[in-house]
Parts: sequence; C-alpha cells; structure tokens
Amino acid sequence: MAQPAFATRFPGAVRRLPWLVLALLAVFPLLAPTLGLEYYVGFVRRVLIVAIAATSLNFILGYGGMAALGHAGFIGVGAYTVVALVEAGVSSAWLAWGGALVFGGLAAALIGAVSLRTRGVYFIMITLAFAQMLYYLAVSLRTYGGDDGYGLYTPLAMGPWLDGAHPDVFYWVVLAIAAGVFALFSRVAHSRYGHALRGIRDNETRMVALGYPVFRLKLAGFVAAGAVAGLAGGLLASHNTFVSPGMMHWTQSALLLVMVILGGLGRRWGAPLGVALWLTLEEALKMHTDYWHWPLGVLLLLVVFHAPQGLAALLERRGDRQGGAA
Amino acid sequence: MDAIFVFEQLLNGLGYGLMLFLIAAGLTLVFGIMDTMNLAHGSLYMAGAYVAARVHEASGSFAGAVLAAVLVTVAVAALLELLVVRHLYRRDHLVQVLATFGIILIADDAVKAIWGVAPLMASTPAALAGPVQLFEGLPYPAYRLLLIGAGLLVALGLYLLVNNTRVGMLVRAGASNRQMAEFMGVRVGAVFSFVFALGAGLAALAGALMAPISSVQVGMGEAILIPALVVIVIGGIGSVRGAFVAALLVGLVDTAGRAFLPPALRAVLPPSVAADLGPALAGIAMYVLMAAVLTLKPAGLFPARA
Amino acid sequence: MSLFVAEGLVKRFGGLLATDHVDLTVAPGEIHALIGPNGAGKSTLVNLISGLIPADAGRIVLDGVDLTALAPHQRVRHGLARCFQITSVFRNDSVRDNLLLAVQAQAGSSFRCLRRREAETVLMDGALTLADKVGLAEVLDRPAGTLPHGMQKRLDVALALAARPKLLLLDEPMAGMGPEDSLQMVALIDRLRRDAAILLIEHDMDAVFQLADRISVLVYGRVLTSGDAAHVKGHPEVQSVYLGTEGHA
Repeated sequence: MAQPAFATRFPGAVRRLPWLVLALLAVFPLLAPTLGLEYYVGFVRRVLIVAIAATSLNFILGYGGMAALGHAGFIGVGAYTVVALVEAGVSSAWLAWGGALVFGGLAAALIGAVSLRTRGVYFIMITLAFAQMLYYLAVSLRTYGGDDGYGLYTPLAMGPWLDGAHPDVFYWVVLAIAAGVFALFSRVAHSRYGHALRGIRDNETRMVALGYPVFRLKLAGFVAAGAVAGLAGGLLASHNTFVSPGMMHWTQSALLLVMVILGGLGRRWGAPLGVALWLTLEEALKMHTDYWHWPLGVLLLLVVFHAPQGLAALLERRGDRQGGAA
Repeated sequence: MDAIFVFEQLLNGLGYGLMLFLIAAGLTLVFGIMDTMNLAHGSLYMAGAYVAARVHEASGSFAGAVLAAVLVTVAVAALLELLVVRHLYRRDHLVQVLATFGIILIADDAVKAIWGVAPLMASTPAALAGPVQLFEGLPYPAYRLLLIGAGLLVALGLYLLVNNTRVGMLVRAGASNRQMAEFMGVRVGAVFSFVFALGAGLAALAGALMAPISSVQVGMGEAILIPALVVIVIGGIGSVRGAFVAALLVGLVDTAGRAFLPPALRAVLPPSVAADLGPALAGIAMYVLMAAVLTLKPAGLFPARA
Repeated sequence: MSLFVAEGLVKRFGGLLATDHVDLTVAPGEIHALIGPNGAGKSTLVNLISGLIPADAGRIVLDGVDLTALAPHQRVRHGLARCFQITSVFRNDSVRDNLLLAVQAQAGSSFRCLRRREAETVLMDGALTLADKVGLAEVLDRPAGTLPHGMQKRLDVALALAARPKLLLLDEPMAGMGPEDSLQMVALIDRLRRDAAILLIEHDMDAVFQLADRISVLVYGRVLTSGDAAHVKGHPEVQSVYLGTEGHA
C-alpha cells in the first residue's frame, strides 16, 4: 500500500500547497513568454476547464457513489446552450455561460429523476443511454451544424472591464471559476450534505431507515454536478471556438471517469490531479509518436494494480482519506 | 414502402440482431458469472474482423479466414485473461472499467501498428457475392443469408451447450449464484477462463462475419460495445436466453428505425424537420427501448438472479 | 388505546403468501414480541411496517397518523424507527461519525451544504447522549467495523434511537450473540421501554419471556395466537408448530 511519507514529513507544505499551485497558475501566462511556453497557456486553460467537469463528476461518483457514465452529455448540453444563445443573438459571455450552467442542471434534473431509481450497473447503463440520446439529438440539429459541428468565430464579450485588458484574460476567468468550483465542492464535502451523501454511498438502506430523503439528496447532488459540467461545457465551447456532437460521445464520458478514478475517487485532489496528469501525458506523447494511446493504457493498468486508490492517495495523509470505493 | 421492402428490412434486422447476440453472449456471461465489466470485449470483435479480412485477402479462403480469426482471438483472449482480467474478478466495477479501458487503448494502437490506420476493405467470399432470389421480387444478398444461418446455428449450439452439458450447468450455476457455486466446489476459476475464451471466440466470429459488410477500422470495437451492453442490460445480465431475445429486439428496432422512421416522418412532417428528426430518432430508438424495459423490469427481461 | 395498529397486511412474492392478513397492535410503553419459526415471515413483516418493501394490502397507523402511503424515510419522521437483523452500520466510519449521521437526520435540514458539520455542537451533543445511552462512550473513535459484534449491535440500536421513535422495531437484536452480550442487550431493551414502545422480533426465548408484555406467534405469514407468556407457553398449537420443533422451550 501507499505510504503517506511526503505528507507526514511535511504537513505544512501540504497545507500551503493549494495556495502555491493557485499562485503558480495565476502567474503562468505572465511568465510563459519569457520561458517560451506561450502555447501552453491554452493547454493549461483546457486542463482547468476539464478539471471543473471532472470535479463535479468526482463529487457525485466519489462522494455520492453514483457511477454516471454520461457526464459528457451535460458538457455537451452546456456547449450547445452557448451555441443556441449565440445563434439567438446573445453576445455576453456571462449570459451564455450562465445559460450553460442552468441548462446543464435542468438536463441533469430530468435525467437524474429517471436514472436515480436504478442501481449499480443499470445506473451506469441508463446514464450512458441518455448521453447517447443527447449525442444523436446534437447530430440531428442541422441548424447548429449537425455532424459537422458549429464554429463560434466571434469571441463572447466578458464586459468592457475585462475585454482587451490582457490577451489572456479568458485564462484568468477560467482559473477563477475553476478555483471557485473546487473550493465550493471541497467545502460541501465537509458539510451536513456532504456527510449525508457519503452515508448514502456507504449504506443506502441504512440511510433510508435513519429517515433521510435519499432520492432527493442524490438528485440534488446530481443536478449540481450536471450544472457545473454544463458550465464547463460552455467554457469549453469558448475555449475551442467550436462545438460538435463528438464532445458527447460515450468515450468522452468514459475518459472523464477514467481521469477521476486515476486521480483518486472521492479525494479532494483526485479530479484535478487525474486531469492534469492525463492531459499532460497525452500532450507530451502526441509530440513524439502517433502511437500515444498505448502508454496511457499501460498507465491505467499500473494504477489498477499498484495504486488502486488513485494518485491523490499517494500524496494524502492517511487520516485525510475522505473515502472512496473500498 | 411495400411488403417486400419491409420483409427485406426484417431480414437485415435479424442478421444484425444475431451478430449482436454473438457479441453479447460472452459479455453477459462474463458479467453474470464473475461480475466483471469488460469494456475491451469490443476489441476482441475488432481483432476477429482484422484477422479475418487479412487472412481472407492473403489466402483466398473465407472459411479459413474465419477459423483463423477465431483461433487467433481466442489465443489473445486467453493471454489477456491470464495477465489482466483474472486479477479483476473481485474488484470494484469502476476499477474494471479503468483497466479494460486501458486495454482498449493498447489494443487500438496495436491494431494501428500491425495493420495501419486506413480502414480495410474486406471482400465478400466470391461464391456468396451475388443475390439469391428468395421469392418473386425479392433478391437478397447470399452473404447476408449466410450471416443469418450462421448466427442461428451458433445460437442453437450455445443453447444446447448451456442447457444440456455439464459445463453449461456450471456456467448457469455460476451466473445465478456465484457464492453458492463456489461453496459447492465448482472450480469457478476454470469455468470463467473457459467462458471468457468462449465469449472471445464468439465475438471474433461476429467480427469475422461482419467484416465484409462493415468498415474494418480502429474504433469499431468501441462502436459495437454500446449496443452489446444495451442488449445484455435489456436481456438481464447473466442470461444467455435474455441476450438472445434482447439482441433480436435491438437488431430489429435499430434496423426498422433507420429504414422506416425517416420515410414515416416525411409523410407527416415538413421535409426539413423530418430530415433532422428521422436519423436522430432512429439513433436513439434502442436507448428508448432500454429505458422502457428498465422502467417496467428493472433487472431486465430475464433476470438470471432470482 | 393502541399506539400502533397494523391491519390486514398482505404481501405476496409470486405465488407465495409471505404475509397473510396480519393484524398487530402495540400499546404505549409495551414490548410486544413476535416469534415464529424460520421462514414464518417475520423479517418480511418488519420490512412491510418500516416500508422498505411495499405491502400489497393493509393499513399502518402510528399514534393516529396513517403511514400506509408514506415512504420509509417519512415513516421514520413520524416516529417509526428500526434496527436490522444483519447489523447495518457505517463500517468505515468511527462510532462518533455513525452517531452524528443518525442525529443529523432528525435535526434540521441535511441539504445544508456550506457550514462545516464539525462546527455544529447540537449534533455533537446528540451523538454523545446516544453513545452514553447504549454504552459506547469509550469507543467513539473506533471505526464501527472493527467493534466486536455485541457493540456493533448496540450501535445499530443507537442509530435507530436517534430518530426519537415512538415505536422501535427490533429485528432479532440478539442474533449471533454470546450469553454475556445477550444479557447486556436485554438490559438495554428493558431500559428503552421508558422511551418507546417496542416491537421485538427474537429467537431467544429466554429474552422474549423476560422482556415481552405480550407475545404474538407468526406461522406461515399468519398470526397464530397472541397473549402473555403463560398463554403462549400453554397454547397446544404453538407447542407443536414452534416450541416443539425449534427446541427453545
């Protein structure tokens, strides 16, 4: 098993680490030109956006035990909400992203109301089925490009105060949102609601017998996660300046799941760690070879057999464990 | 839309459904007996298709190609079981997802490295290239008839194997109550290795047979995996009979949706709306079917566990 | 006047009539024991009353409130709490966290999501009171799954008590216990009768005769007879179908 060596030896460092990471991320666009890393500002921005979606998935999966294999569907709903609003003449980024958040949550409410009545593998499959339905819906929407996707060529306006202030202002906006989402979910994990959610994950029948409205508690988490994934989808639409049904393909949902488990299910740092590692490896491997899938596959097998609790478990103190699939 | 067209589409749906059954049978047994979710099952299907296409091209013998595809895939699967899958039996479903997703990534790159990135064009065996006059006014491709015949034959064989042999009894015992089976001294490990190899062989057979009428390319395994999972969920996880019924249902619903929905919509809706809606509805038909079945029967049509 | 009334409860599993028009009452402050051979449908009955499985017919009333149409968690809110035959606690969590979770279910909304739970002293106090009541105050920091069987059973009871039930359903609380643990559990149940009426399902006849004010005998899903210990002991059919065959008498 993993020894919590680093964390026990340097507890102070672990406590200050989040702020250090945040500070480094904040100054990165300013340092990038001198380091010759301008290209990677966009890359880090993408990592942050995917980490937002992964954090929301970690919340329902790692803390709530809801193994949803359709999370990319909510990302897609958010992205297409932005497209629809732009098509309808909206030019405000905040309105568009807000819409992505709202519609992501609405979609999750509808899908969750049906799916959360099933258990285990059947839940995995029914969330997958709904995401596939959204995928085919997007393929059929020819007004928004159908199979070919839809280009968002004019950047959305973030307001006179932000636009034009700096070329990388969108990066900082994404960083602020990502940090906010991360802090929010970390906070909720220790609240009454977070404890109740973990109780449901560990022993649902007992929670019912204790008098918890289990279904409504799960649905609330599912909707929150769907809304945040929708927001991530809206941001991703702006980041890529392009939206296509491929964002919702089941392999995207699976990939998100894989990144969260890789990072550490139900662990505070699991989602961002998993996303950062996976996307960085992908980026690095792609530069050197066309065959960049198999090393990632080998990595997954190594994690399964040598670090089954995920990467975050290697860094955390033993007492910090907030649970995870046992 | 006339009767002949309808009949032709039903035959197509039957053929597709039978191929889905070949893939789903192994998946449902592995899932039912060892509670193991194997996303890489589609990769075995892909392996079968590639080997068959290449051997057929090189040797000219279609039967030989199918045989080679099954043998090679079973050998690969046995290795896979020994090295990876065997160690996943008692693990969490999500860990199984992680590991078998890793296998997909490795398999896709391996196929690319061996056979290249471009899709292969697998040819139909010359003797079966033409149509057969089923009855007046319905010429039907001979190859597709072979598909149906082979599918039915294998389904019958599997039925006899599961219901009338000792191995089949062990398999059923394992699917309906694994702990009880272990308790009674069934060598579950050996049964599972056998079932995994059997499932791989069936998936490879389906891949080999589907190669001439589909595009043989990287990613075909992931594309077929989802309908196969839908089949085993509708049928009830662990039930071969359920997989058979569900595969035919999904095959027919999917084929009928694609063939009949667009023209039907064109008849009642404005053309632009119909053109948008038709393919979407056809694409989601089987998922709607699954959602409906699960709403009425949460454990599928034929739950293996009482 | 009965505190709890179950009328005409019916449950079918396929062709099997697991619960056959069962009528039961529990008076305030009463311990009503339900005995019967294995397969008599005792656990099914507990599940029907607590609502974990839906009844096909019948009515359940607690303290004047009809609970029949309510979901299981709503029944808890109305004062109907239960324990489990197979001990059901949160095995990976400490005893304290188990109790906190149980107290939280009844004390305000569990949708509160920004305040740290550790800061809520109301919950802490409630958890400590419960731990005292069942004698687990010494082991608050132990993970529940590592406790000996008898302690886990008492934790299970404490989780149910957190709901401040009017009626407590105890599903074989003595199951799998040694004599010492059993004695402790009997003493605990005896103390609890001051707080709640109890419907006690139990195989341990010594415990039943010691605790119960009234005993009902369930055979093939049906109530064979009801009465005090002497009545049940003397009932000829009970002796043949139950006490005789099970050898507990």
